[in-house]
Amino acid sequence: MSSGLVLVVDDEPQILRALQTNLRGAGYEVITAATGESALVEAAMRPPDAVILDLVLPGKSGTDVCRELRAWSDVPVIVLSAVGDERAKVAALDAGADDYVTKPFGIDELLARLRAALRRTGQPLEPVVAVGDLRVDLEKRAVSVRGEAVQLTPHEYSMLALFARNVGKLLTHRAILREVWGPQYGSESHYLHVYVSQLRRKIEADPTRPRYLLTESGAGYRLVEPS
Amino acid sequence: MSWRITRPRAKADIAVGALGSAGAVALVTAAVGLLDGWIPVLSLGALYVFAVLLASVMWGLAFALPVAVTSMLVFNWFFLPPTHTFHLKDGENWLVLMLYLVVAVVTSELAARARRRAREAEQREREAALLAEVAASLLTGRPVTDELDGIATRAAAVLGTPHAWITLEGEAEVGPDAEAFPLEAGGRTLGFISMPTPEPIDERVVQRFLPALSSLLAVALDRQQLEQDVLEAESLRRSDAVKTTVLRAVSHDLRSPLTAIAAAASGLHNPALDLSTEDRMDLVETILEESTRLERLVSDLLDISRLQAGAAMPVRELWSVDELVGSALDELDDAETTVSVPHDLPPVEVDAGQAQRILVNLLENAHRHAASAAGVTVIAAPIGSETVMISVHDDGPGIEPADTESVFEPFWRGATGAGRSGLGLAIARGFALANSGTLRVGKSNAGATLELTFPTGRSKPEDAAG
Repeated sequence: MSSGLVLVVDDEPQILRALQTNLRGAGYEVITAATGESALVEAAMRPPDAVILDLVLPGKSGTDVCRELRAWSDVPVIVLSAVGDERAKVAALDAGADDYVTKPFGIDELLARLRAALRRTGQPLEPVVAVGDLRVDLEKRAVSVRGEAVQLTPHEYSMLALFARNVGKLLTHRAILREVWGPQYGSESHYLHVYVSQLRRKIEADPTRPRYLLTESGAGYRLVEPS
Repeated sequence: MSWRITRPRAKADIAVGALGSAGAVALVTAAVGLLDGWIPVLSLGALYVFAVLLASVMWGLAFALPVAVTSMLVFNWFFLPPTHTFHLKDGENWLVLMLYLVVAVVTSELAARARRRAREAEQREREAALLAEVAASLLTGRPVTDELDGIATRAAAVLGTPHAWITLEGEAEVGPDAEAFPLEAGGRTLGFISMPTPEPIDERVVQRFLPALSSLLAVALDRQQLEQDVLEAESLRRSDAVKTTVLRAVSHDLRSPLTAIAAAASGLHNPALDLSTEDRMDLVETILEESTRLERLVSDLLDISRLQAGAAMPVRELWSVDELVGSALDELDDAETTVSVPHDLPPVEVDAGQAQRILVNLLENAHRHAASAAGVTVIAAPIGSETVMISVHDDGPGIEPADTESVFEPFWRGATGAGRSGLGLAIARGFALANSGTLRVGKSNAGATLELTFPTGRSKPEDAAG
């Protein structure tokens, strides 16, 4: 029995072949596309459960594919980016991609991201989100760590609540600024980092070794289940 | 002798001249009236010379001649018998009139000449001052093209036109009401200076001034070209050096992991080989390890070539130091390093990715040389209000005083030959400098300390605070 249908989009035949073999081995059914245009056609003909999308494609770029896909589909999208593509990576995430993996990547890492993305879809939102020792009560607006209540400023709470509603999902700087500070913000990531480290000091045991709120260098932040 | 009146007089000038002349004549007449009876009246007529002199020096011949004639008539009317007529009884009086006219003409020509000389001296002084100024500004080393507008404005003042503009290379910009003069030096045309035509331009000034200006511009342009050539040669030489180091790295450092991968993979691929499961896992691990090494090397080479080409382009934002240190520890899965970052440390303004690269390289370097896994410490502290220092210390053998600079050279491997590619510290320093920071070897009694500084950021906007 298949664990899901995955659409893999890459113009390098070797990478397509390696990914196809490994994903089949992990129990997924795989369809492939070598261009952005054909990827959109494939996705429309047979809606996949997840998309693995190379950022650099001939013709329509990965970011374009992401944006067009998001117009009619909520399918989780994981983009493949290389060192030096940081701007394109953030653009794709802002355009609706769920996560990214940096090339060259190990297949374990890709499979873990894929599993997490598939798990998140269709999961009903609980009023109380528990991640490790951290509890965020979205109804009572209360936060506790290891059973002890934590006092947060309104912005710190809004930020943590946003993370709690998206456990495991990478949130870009722009997405966080817009959700927490409002639509007129989007490029003031300047002080976002400072607020994140203030929040960390309240919820992490050691802020230099965060276990809950992880930094995705140059892209954004992610709240995770501590390992 | 030229009688040229160069410019039409303004109405105000004419009024002042006319009133002044009339006043002078009236004044002298009053004086003669007062002295009449005390001194023979005919000799008093000589006083009118003062009025003629005044008019010719102040307002020129155009006023001096009427003053002379009027003086003669007035003197005749009031004082020469028969008085209150213009009739001249005595023929000598004609001589007086002629005298006045000659005085008027001679003094006014002398005055005009003096005025012309003074004007010309002033003009030459302005030209010399401008040329000196232009020479100075062209020798400051700023691009000549940046100075052109300023030079043109000052040249316009010297040439007596409201404005002028200079174009180098190519056609002169001449509108319907403008005239262009070529700027020529050493047999080549450097460009053109153009100015509006309605104002008459003194040809002599143009012929004297423009060649001097052109020569100066030619010198400055040649100097600029030479400087550019030197810079180009230098950057070519540097990019050549980069290519050499990259090629050296490619030929050796890339080939050995590739060889290991090819050997391991072909072993796995060969059905004739009798390999135990353990052997197969060994070969697979070799492939994984060596491809990681290759990937690190490729990104190091990319970083170093970007840095040497001056293309690091940091995106600097405010980051807290514990976050930067944290992301480096996270990348290395480093749980042993002792970290001390005060909570009230101000945030630093750096590119997070590049700062992480610096810290990862420093931590890797420290762990490679440390005597024990727990022998590495990271301490952050403020230095004044505008700098934060992050010191990475290890308890290893330390760095020889002679090597405190060479450790930052690309591909420097030291006596032990240790290191991943010999690029780690070179990249770290390159990124530190690109982020307005510094990286150097600090003093320590035992082991090695690398001191990294970052500039602190502007204080965060409180209105956006939670």
